[in-house]
Amino acid sequence: MKAFRVVYAIARADFLERVRRYSYLITLLFAVYLGYAAGTGRISLRLGDYRGLYTSAWIGAMVSLVATTFVSLVGFYIVKNAVDRDRQTRVGEILAGTPLSRVSYLLGKFLSNFAVLVSMVAVLALAAVAMQLLAAEDRTFHAWALLSPFLFLALPAMAMTAAMALLFETFSFLRGGFGNVLWFFVWCFGLTLPVATGRPQFDPTGIWLIHESMVPAARAGIPGYVDSFSLTMADKSVRVATGFHWNGVEWTTGIVGLRLAWTAAAFALVLCGAWFFDRFDPASVRRRSRARPRLREAAAPAGAGPESAKARPHVVTSTHLTPLASGALQAGAWPLLVAELKLALKGYRWWWYAVAGGLLIAQFAAPLDVSRGPLLAAAWIWPILVWSALGTREARFGAEQLVFSCPRILRRQFPAAWIAGVLVAALTGLGAAVRLALAGQRAGLMAWAVGVLFIPSLALALGVWSGTSKFFEGLYTVLWYVGPINRAPGFDFTGSANGPQAGRFALLYLCVAATLVAAALLRRARQLQGT
Amino acid sequence: MKLEIENVSKTYRGNVEALRSFRLELGPGVLGLLGPNGAGKSTLMRILATITRPTAGRVLWNGTDIKHDPDTLRAVLGYLPQDFGIYPNLSALEFLGYLAAVKGLDAAGARKRIGELVELVNLAEVARRPLGGFSGGMRQRVGIAQALLNDPQLLIVDEPTAGLDPEERVRFRNLLSELSGERIVILSTHIVSDVEAVAADIALIAQGELVVHGFPEALLAGVNGKVWEVVVPSGELAALQQRHLVSSTAHRSDGVHARVVADAAPRPGARALEPTLEDAYLAALAARRNGAAAEAAV
Repeated sequence: MKAFRVVYAIARADFLERVRRYSYLITLLFAVYLGYAAGTGRISLRLGDYRGLYTSAWIGAMVSLVATTFVSLVGFYIVKNAVDRDRQTRVGEILAGTPLSRVSYLLGKFLSNFAVLVSMVAVLALAAVAMQLLAAEDRTFHAWALLSPFLFLALPAMAMTAAMALLFETFSFLRGGFGNVLWFFVWCFGLTLPVATGRPQFDPTGIWLIHESMVPAARAGIPGYVDSFSLTMADKSVRVATGFHWNGVEWTTGIVGLRLAWTAAAFALVLCGAWFFDRFDPASVRRRSRARPRLREAAAPAGAGPESAKARPHVVTSTHLTPLASGALQAGAWPLLVAELKLALKGYRWWWYAVAGGLLIAQFAAPLDVSRGPLLAAAWIWPILVWSALGTREARFGAEQLVFSCPRILRRQFPAAWIAGVLVAALTGLGAAVRLALAGQRAGLMAWAVGVLFIPSLALALGVWSGTSKFFEGLYTVLWYVGPINRAPGFDFTGSANGPQAGRFALLYLCVAATLVAAALLRRARQLQGT
Repeated sequence: MKLEIENVSKTYRGNVEALRSFRLELGPGVLGLLGPNGAGKSTLMRILATITRPTAGRVLWNGTDIKHDPDTLRAVLGYLPQDFGIYPNLSALEFLGYLAAVKGLDAAGARKRIGELVELVNLAEVARRPLGGFSGGMRQRVGIAQALLNDPQLLIVDEPTAGLDPEERVRFRNLLSELSGERIVILSTHIVSDVEAVAADIALIAQGELVVHGFPEALLAGVNGKVWEVVVPSGELAALQQRHLVSSTAHRSDGVHARVVADAAPRPGARALEPTLEDAYLAALAARRNGAAAEAAV
């Protein structure tokens, strides 16, 4: 009983801390937007060129799939800070000094994650009800048909998302930007798992379940139907399949059991995370560092070791600070740019530079199409963590007061940080640029240059406005996957997939980049004015 | 060189008043800003460092309102916040180099200055190691060094000795004394002995208001002849504390030796003592509390 109280207390405190922040309001607004997008056809469930009549069953299935897919992708980034918040606020150290067990702590955090995600699903469920009433294509309201997919599909998917977010936080290497990027691929993998394995039970989102239930009805009711099934954001016109009748998934014991198994799997992931959770012990991170002996010496309390004995102070009564020469504080922009570039690239291991260098050399050596296509795409995902620190580094490390109390931040430090990001993009993609220049492809070169400006602009704007690197890491990964990798025209900011319209899209991305920089500047100016 | 704080107030969300019509005028020298926890010291420091804007009132640096032109002050400001972060992957040299660049120091000047500063704060041996492995006291010394990078005319240090060992504390106090010549130094703390050691001027703040501002001698004069030592059995100490302001106690074989601040001898046999700044500080706070209580009763 006591253990339950502890778990409840952890979950309650974490949930309250979250919902009392403005960011929670934005979270709910995102759910409202998804509901709106589904209601207005911007997101639609399609059977080829058709959709079903807006019955309770159709709307319930469609909106719950919106929840299991979109909310599970974005929701991960929203809730993946439960443990980190305790680390940042140092509440974790207090908790670590109590008899609180790892399992209780993580279960509490899991329930809080789950509650936040469920609140988003609840907004979508309300939107689904409103959608049927407003669309009025079918006036018969079946509460069970509409809401049961939320219960059996969305909630287990949210439990998995909540648990995965927590699991990522328990591994130090998944805690930061790498984990944020990886999640996108894990999410993609989760969507394709039942198709790839041919096993319908490996379906965390439930999308295959709906597919299996709907397709036979579509074959029977839609003339010429060839098993196409998709949840899309496309604006393509869609026709209503009047002959298609589907009453929803038949929730057999087997299906419900399978969905419950996913919920159980979520709990199992939490327990697995408890095994690896460091319980806020900073030494667990340092142990993995190659610089361990030196760090331990440095971190030792004064007077505790030979190093500190060497550094033992003798109490001085006079100081030897040479007064600064006149004009010493009027340095140009160059030293600051170099400092920002060093800061941006500091902390990476040799192999990081080796891979970046390898990709650069490959761009010079490969055929032009490969160089500006997959190789440039790879070169421009590799430094994602360098860019995602733009605009967030000061807040992340609590150095805002030190930096923001310096003069001319907007005129010097802000542009220097952005230019450092631009230089990273230019350097890592230099091979493709040289190849384009040698081939005389001016439009391609312009698209490349715009890409160089666009990436750090997006990072800076999202970083300054959100205060966290997560949103850039998530959004940029999606954009990179859709654009440069899947070569969706318009989404490819490298310009290689935009064909004859490359120039037009380059201009568009240039405008977007300029707007993003202006937005970041505006926000940073507000931050500098104080509260 | 003049810093004027004119009727500065700060109200946070929820109508929480951190500062109320705070006035102060400062010239070169060390000001010790004393006050209990939650008195509004850090809020005042953040306003003076241009981090936070006042809700009302203004702060003038040599006649320039820092709300409208913060860079005028930032260019000559050295600021050590109470709680600050560092970039863990940088070494002390790199971190100081970065902040020197942000502050606008040229490369050669910065190198020389940083070299001197790491010696000064006794970090030369570890200056090339990542800050992520530094202890709290070592980080604090990095903070002190960065505050001095630009040879500031206004040096604001908020609880600077927190986390420092006794030797480093003495070292830092000496440093502040040496630096105080042609600049304004504001030392915010609740450790009276730090202020006693270096401040030529003292401001006492409580509940967001300025209680006293003056020379230490003037504050001490206020409690002259009002500090007593009495010896009481342990069992009577609580009663003594209820009746009088007891600034310190020490258990001895003959009973508890209590240091009492009172207008008259608290009991027969009380021995008059030389007052310390801590006595004066506690007496001023107690007088303010009693005044507030009397006002509330009326």
